[in-house]
Amino acid sequence: MIHLKKDETKAMVAVHGWSGILLGLLLYAVVLTGTAAVFAHEIGAWSAGHVTTTSAFEKPIDATIRRLSAMTPARYREAVNLFEIGDHGLGVFFHRHELDANGTPTESGIYYQLDNSGRINRTLRGTAEEVFGPRNDDALSSFLVDTHVRLHVPNPWGLLLTGILGLAMLVAAISGLLIHRHLFKDIFTLRRRASPVLIDRDKHSVAGTWSLPFAFILAFTGSFFSFFGTIGVPVVAMAAFSGDVEALSEAVFGNPGTPDPRPVAIGNLDRITSDAIRRTGEAPTFIAIEKFGRADAEITSFHNPKASDIEPVALLYNGATATFERAKPTVGTRTSAGGTLAGIMGPLHFGNFAGLLSKAIWFGLGFAMCYVTFTGMRLWVVRRKDEARSLAWLERTLTVVGFGLPFGLVASAAAFLVTMPLGLAVYWTTAAFLIASGAAIFTGFFARSNDGLTQMLTGATGAVMIALPLLRIFAASGPGWTDAIAVGQPIIAALDIAFAAAGIWLVRGCWTAARSSTRSTSNIPVAAEA
Amino acid sequence: MIMRDKTDPLPLRPRRLWARILLAGPMAIIVALTLLAGMPLWLPGGAAGIDNLVFPLVFAPLIWAALFFHACLDRSITRVALVAAVLFLVHGGLVASSFMGKAAATEKTR
Repeated sequence: MIHLKKDETKAMVAVHGWSGILLGLLLYAVVLTGTAAVFAHEIGAWSAGHVTTTSAFEKPIDATIRRLSAMTPARYREAVNLFEIGDHGLGVFFHRHELDANGTPTESGIYYQLDNSGRINRTLRGTAEEVFGPRNDDALSSFLVDTHVRLHVPNPWGLLLTGILGLAMLVAAISGLLIHRHLFKDIFTLRRRASPVLIDRDKHSVAGTWSLPFAFILAFTGSFFSFFGTIGVPVVAMAAFSGDVEALSEAVFGNPGTPDPRPVAIGNLDRITSDAIRRTGEAPTFIAIEKFGRADAEITSFHNPKASDIEPVALLYNGATATFERAKPTVGTRTSAGGTLAGIMGPLHFGNFAGLLSKAIWFGLGFAMCYVTFTGMRLWVVRRKDEARSLAWLERTLTVVGFGLPFGLVASAAAFLVTMPLGLAVYWTTAAFLIASGAAIFTGFFARSNDGLTQMLTGATGAVMIALPLLRIFAASGPGWTDAIAVGQPIIAALDIAFAAAGIWLVRGCWTAARSSTRSTSNIPVAAEA
Repeated sequence: MIMRDKTDPLPLRPRRLWARILLAGPMAIIVALTLLAGMPLWLPGGAAGIDNLVFPLVFAPLIWAALFFHACLDRSITRVALVAAVLFLVHGGLVASSFMGKAAATEKTR
């Protein structure tokens, strides 16, 4: 227990309140979309009706890559990235490393998008920033991730903004810990007969205290990811490598060896993928081929962490002979404290180290963080509302954002399901979010009371959530439950049930609140007559 | 000066508050960035020779948070300024000397 003096506690209460109130609304948006993005992969499969369960790397890819290599100009055959897209299709990015107009290292080349039978669906040319964007079949999950990562603000400003929000969350979490004088008592204190403000404070305190370690981890790892490329790497490269970011990247991620530029055909990739699957027990998540077509070619196969481990796995192969060389850490050439620390930052932030179980825990704790952020801001406003009447607009804004944002997100999901078969999902997923947000703001201006606004927004969110499974089956022609379960995709049925149940719960709550408010209004004249 | 402090302490309060805000805000950012640049020059590289590069990158948010809370909680604002100044000067000096060394080596090669 940390016991601060009275004035220090007062300072920490001020820091806790202001860190939340200044950036709380944006933080709420980042945490809420991040909570949903924990299941981005599953939401992608649910929304686009993915029914293939065999990884692209469990099927032969060698002939495909050789065919694509023959089609690709030699200048882009310096390196190749392989990864899964869509319904276990394959993304192949032939590229070369170069500097952009600002002198920043980038990758430029040709990006082939293949379906799960090896046919080319689309070919894109340009830099990595230009070719990697949302596709028609993953527009919804991309929208969620992009909102969470950079709030749709162009880079580097978007990343800097979310990094600052991460720091604000870190400050709120640490100051929240410091202001508890009786931490263990507060964890279990939920007074039911106190004033509404005290009851709300207890709920905020209990949810905040239980999720405190999680908030700390999320804020720490989140701000690390936001600042890593935007500030951290350029500053460290400036000090240690005279500003040469490529040299820093090579030192941290590269595989040192004697250069051998003799042209040698790439080894059998199918041999590498089957060996990697045999060694790790699961298909790669990403394969990187460096120095493609040279005698010193290197192929690295990246995998999710093994059971009971938290650090991802990487296997290094000789590219020319397709023989296994060694298991290597994802960061650095040998196992080291720094490499392990950097390697576990991803799994700690994404919660993907123990499959659906860890994802479900991360989702639940993320939801608790949303609740803590929102109730914290409400408490701050309610406590001061009587002193400053002008804060009523802030309370209204909180309701618009707090309940309007989930409404916007489910509206974007509905729009995706309707427009995906038409090939217009990339545009309409974002457009529907903006339209729904505009509607929430408009309602916020004209709603008679804050409670009425809350009921309207939660009711509308619930109604759209109930409609989502129907839209998925009838508008998007997605697979039914029996078909999805039969092909090993029970997550589709599970998400349908989750949306429908949450929608019914919201509509029912809204209905009950509306009825009780009608009753209390109709009782007023009776009470007045009495 | 002492007389003014005793008889009229209020005018100093906003000044102290602003000094604290300055130290917890812009100064904490500047010192954290200087530490980020300077730490790779003295931290050990570890088994893979990358620890000196990775630790500052990973711990940058925590370094900033430590400087921020120190500026908020330390009762002596002079001590806060002193710690920030020492960290800034030591790491800034390391970075400057590294640059000067590299410039001299380049000049020699020419």
